[in-house]
Amino acid sequence: MTVLRSDLAFFAGLAILAGFGLSVGSLFGTYWVIVALNFAMWIALTQSWALFSGLTGYISLGNVVFYGLGAYTVAVSFKVLPLWVAVPMGGLVAAVFALMIAVPALRVRGPYFVILTFGISELVKYSILNLETYLGKSSRLLFGAPSAEAVLYTMIALAVASSVLMRLVKSSTFGRGLVAIQGDETSAETVGIPVTRFKVMGFTLSAFIPGMVGGLMALRSTYFEVLQVFNPFISFTIVTMAIIGGSNDARGPILGAAFLVFLSELLWSSAPRLYMILLGAFLIAFVLLAPSGLVGLLRKYGEGHSK
Amino acid sequence: MDLLLSPQLLFSALVLGSLYALIGVGLNFVYGTIRLLNIAHGDLVMIGAYAAFGLFTALGLSPMFGLPLIAGITAMIGAGLYFGLFKRQLENTTSVEQLEANSLLLFFGVSVILQNTMALLFTTSPRAYQHLDYVISIGGLDMTLSRLLALVVSLTIVFAISMFLKFSIYGLGISAIIQNRDAAKIVGIDVGRVQLGSFILGFGVAGIAGALVSLTEQISPFMGFPFTIAAFVVIILGGLGNISGGIIAGILLGFIEIYSVALTSATYRSILIYGVFVAAIMLRPQGLFGKAQT
Amino acid sequence: MTLRNTVLGAVALTMLAGVASAQDAVKIGYSIANTGLFSQAAPSQVTAYELWAEQVNAEGGLEVAGEKRPVELIWYDDESDPAKAAQIYEKLISDDEVDLLLAPWGTPHHLNVAGVVESHGFPMVGNTAASVAIREVSPGNVWFPTSAIPDKVGPELAAFAKSEGIGSVAILANVLPFAQENLQFLLPALEEQGIEVKMNENYPPDISDMTSLLAQVKASGADAVIALSYPADSFLYMGQAKELGIDQPFQFLLVGPTISAFQGAFGADADGIVTLGHWSPHQADWERAKPFYDAYVAKYGFAPDYLDSALAYMSAEILEAAVAQAGLDHEKLRDVISTSTFDTINGPVRFDGVENVETPTAFLQLQGGEMHLIWPGDIATSEYQNR
Repeated sequence: MTVLRSDLAFFAGLAILAGFGLSVGSLFGTYWVIVALNFAMWIALTQSWALFSGLTGYISLGNVVFYGLGAYTVAVSFKVLPLWVAVPMGGLVAAVFALMIAVPALRVRGPYFVILTFGISELVKYSILNLETYLGKSSRLLFGAPSAEAVLYTMIALAVASSVLMRLVKSSTFGRGLVAIQGDETSAETVGIPVTRFKVMGFTLSAFIPGMVGGLMALRSTYFEVLQVFNPFISFTIVTMAIIGGSNDARGPILGAAFLVFLSELLWSSAPRLYMILLGAFLIAFVLLAPSGLVGLLRKYGEGHSK
Repeated sequence: MDLLLSPQLLFSALVLGSLYALIGVGLNFVYGTIRLLNIAHGDLVMIGAYAAFGLFTALGLSPMFGLPLIAGITAMIGAGLYFGLFKRQLENTTSVEQLEANSLLLFFGVSVILQNTMALLFTTSPRAYQHLDYVISIGGLDMTLSRLLALVVSLTIVFAISMFLKFSIYGLGISAIIQNRDAAKIVGIDVGRVQLGSFILGFGVAGIAGALVSLTEQISPFMGFPFTIAAFVVIILGGLGNISGGIIAGILLGFIEIYSVALTSATYRSILIYGVFVAAIMLRPQGLFGKAQT
Repeated sequence: MTLRNTVLGAVALTMLAGVASAQDAVKIGYSIANTGLFSQAAPSQVTAYELWAEQVNAEGGLEVAGEKRPVELIWYDDESDPAKAAQIYEKLISDDEVDLLLAPWGTPHHLNVAGVVESHGFPMVGNTAASVAIREVSPGNVWFPTSAIPDKVGPELAAFAKSEGIGSVAILANVLPFAQENLQFLLPALEEQGIEVKMNENYPPDISDMTSLLAQVKASGADAVIALSYPADSFLYMGQAKELGIDQPFQFLLVGPTISAFQGAFGADADGIVTLGHWSPHQADWERAKPFYDAYVAKYGFAPDYLDSALAYMSAEILEAAVAQAGLDHEKLRDVISTSTFDTINGPVRFDGVENVETPTAFLQLQGGEMHLIWPGDIATSEYQNR
């Protein structure tokens, strides 16, 4: 019963959040549409990261590669393919790429995996930069992209989809298998979990939505630049949000994204000179005061309540 | 073909490789040995570069004589961070995963603060100064003095560090901690002091690297990130915590970069570097010189 | 009402009064890449804006259709993200209700902000965008005073090289957009002038050593080196070209030599380097040029960037002159900017569509620590000299 009730609460909360996001434009104007878009984007990215890295403990520091591949797909096919084809194709390209590298990459564990994923994303970045040079494409212009509202609606759909997916996967056999991998791969294998297959599936699944997110975000810039869409800062921010929120629970990424998006929203306009410094200080204070993340705080509060 | 055998190319490979080794060694102390994901490492290189620039422009002091002072500044930052942020983390966190995740966040915060504080104090305008840029020619080999000094200083320091670790009590303490922390504690090693030492050494070396870099590059508050990346590539290739492995990997990386570009084309420089790195890790997941399983 | 509330109320009232008296100020907004990928480039622009605002205020304020009002700059950090820049201009216009806008840094940001100002019908004089892509912006709200557009730079550079008797070149090019766009227009222009390309190599933005590239340059025996470089690799080139003894008399670097740090790093060694730029304080025909240079050096202690600082200041000058004539009404401002000729530190500027059609595409050479215009002849302040 309790499981059901918490599920209900989660989905209801998600629906309210999404509904609010959809109406932001008419309530507060264009500026807040962009804020809502950022928020939805970070939820979708962080949720997808948590689906694999949060559950298995394979910390990826290169998820921007999926985002970048999706963005590149949309930029290349702009005005050639309709967007409803191009954006999902961005997701597909990212997922296929994840599938291709999954087997060799997932043999690597721990800190080596962290830096390996980072290296892969840089490798892809420079390869595409070279490809563009080879093609003689010094710049790609994306004039006539859909409005911020239209992008926001699709992004909210992706944020919701990634959250539901995380929730469903976590409570499935597949999700329990992924969590078991975090504990000990050998013993997971002996109790009958197809470790390699699960890892590959999880990794591939976690690439699809970020690919679509990247494709959508490419439409937000008129001028497509490779360094911009493969900026490693995006990977760092994803991991930061996941750790702040808590990454083994679908509530975590939403809380983590909310925390950082609204903190920076609060700061950047009121203290443009000090904003980044303050953000850094908040981050440090947060880790020192709440090392188990926002979901951890929530649980602690929940326990205290039920006693 | 002539080019491949030229001493000029060899010199460049050594300069680049020894700098990579120096930057890697600094990170190995903090990440390799105590598992703190120090993504602010390159920012300490940046601080070292600014310190060198400041000493030179304000006091006319050559960075070559200012090295101890510059290393002292960044080492103090290291000690400050150890006592302020990481001592308790290291004592209280039970799992390595948790420690890595939290330290990643902490250092991310430190990195953002360092970069933006420097930007606030000195603006983001690039800075540079002219110093030791005479060219010395020996038997057809032309060397800029600053690059030659960078090579000599880097090699001396990495060599001294590896000797120190091999033969001093402190070095033995570090190896003991890498192998087994709890056992090290039981046999009476003061884990806290060794960790503090790692911070001081690691950060001090980063400052020296920054001073050397400032002689040949423009400096700015956001220059550090590529050095962070280079350092991680080097120590992962060499095997985490394996100080001499990291030194060899750094020099190797310099050679790979220079000679692969000479053999193919500069266009492929970054693809080759990351390609080699990715392939090496996939084929040898514990690093080129790493032990089979940790 | 408690005592505390009363006190707070009083404080709020006092603050309101303060706001009321400052309301006369003309609010001018912009976003800048204070952090991130492009942050190194931002100061050359911001320093020019701040100098301009200070000068205007020192003279009693900005003349708004006959009345002088102080100016107040409002800026935010766009973190080098063009999408964030668009968000900021949205906020500046709707939230901060600024009276005027200045431009952000770089082509991607300009293009992204163009959409925002267009939807609000808000005029903005651009500056640091140099790409053929700017012609895709629909005219009427945004103008680009630069003349360093690649499809003009390529042919001019080839013509200039030809006139100096260059028969062959070795080309090095960064793979980033501005360099590649220039390369794209330079190659056919060189062919047209009958200049042989003995070497043409690309390199990535994070290159850390140029030894083998420069050895190839040396072996090529070309008359000239054309490095389509960004600031960081211009530094690398200079240091290593010296080590390897690259002695071509004609050496061109695309972006970098106009920054004061460049001259600080290489001093006399940089003498003779040719670079892209259309402004110099030594051009006596441009009466405002030298005073700007002197005021800048007096305020900051180093020389302005001959490209970005000059362009940023020009854009502010154009805005200033337009406001003096048209006031703050957007419609009138658009009209005035689109049709008038403006006197700037870079001489007269007039727009046709989005483009400045007065300022010629030009090149600078470092001569004895001074930046001189050496091409084209009608604005040159000195003769080209072999290095």
